[in-house]
Amino acid sequence: MLKTKVGVKTKNNYKKGVNNMLWKDKYELGVPLIDTQHKELFRRVESFMQVLRAEDNWDEKIPQLNETLEFMKRYVVEHFRAEEEYQQSINYPGYEAHKEVHNGMVDYVKEVSKQYENSNYDEQLMQQFGGRLLAWLINHVAAEDQRIADYALKKGVNGND
Amino acid sequence: MIDKLYKTFVDATQNVFSLMLNLSEISDHPLESFECEDVLEVAIGFVGDLDGEVIYRFPISTSLNMVEIMSGMQFEQVDAFVTSAISEISNIISGNVLNALSSSDLQCNILTPVLLKPYENSEDKEYDLKTHTCINTSIGELCIEIRLNRIG
Repeated sequence: MLKTKVGVKTKNNYKKGVNNMLWKDKYELGVPLIDTQHKELFRRVESFMQVLRAEDNWDEKIPQLNETLEFMKRYVVEHFRAEEEYQQSINYPGYEAHKEVHNGMVDYVKEVSKQYENSNYDEQLMQQFGGRLLAWLINHVAAEDQRIADYALKKGVNGND
Repeated sequence: MIDKLYKTFVDATQNVFSLMLNLSEISDHPLESFECEDVLEVAIGFVGDLDGEVIYRFPISTSLNMVEIMSGMQFEQVDAFVTSAISEISNIISGNVLNALSSSDLQCNILTPVLLKPYENSEDKEYDLKTHTCINTSIGELCIEIRLNRIG
């Protein structure tokens, strides 16, 4: 059982075991398929961070971290593909640039995973990955993906029909 | 040019802090230098029409507060997770600056963030465009030092 100091921050303490603290309603694009996937992505990143930041011995956490990491590698690719298909369906002009950003992140995840395995599951490497992933994901969904929704709204297309 | 650049960095920081940290009220003032004992320093290299580097200085307390807002978790000290998250935010602010500059026909790229040891960076080069700004937020301040040369 992992000991964790993770939870929803209240004034003086933490409530444990509450999921999706990372997700904020303002991230919703209004495209149900993409919003559902974003929520799932945030939930998985949150689970990953809860294990990553737990106070337990690193070796004890490795199997659970590896499992979450493997899921995320698959899910990130699947989600990016769905998002790109949606962009094409509404003729989003920033499609190519957005795809490049996605590809950059997929390459980074693959590279870190490879280094992590080669390093025999080095903790520092995974902590670095966690920090960058958190900031990248929040910016990507709150800013870059929001531009897709703004375009769809402006053009009166939502691609859900 | 220097005033425009200064404003571009302040606006980019404001935009990123608002979207990512929900901090909408920030203020800025120019600085001669930034004095703070415990800082996290991240250097971002610029290449292209503007060449040089920009150094982001985050006091430890500001860094921890930022990561706590993003994660909803408690952080008591700066570790690899925190330095990486703060480096990425510096990268994101710089990316916003690039977008703003490109609309003024200035084409630049940025290099991977480099974590500096506090106040170890050398300042022996001359720069055409050199300024500091201190940005105040409700979770603490940060300093941005711009050291760039206009190429061409």
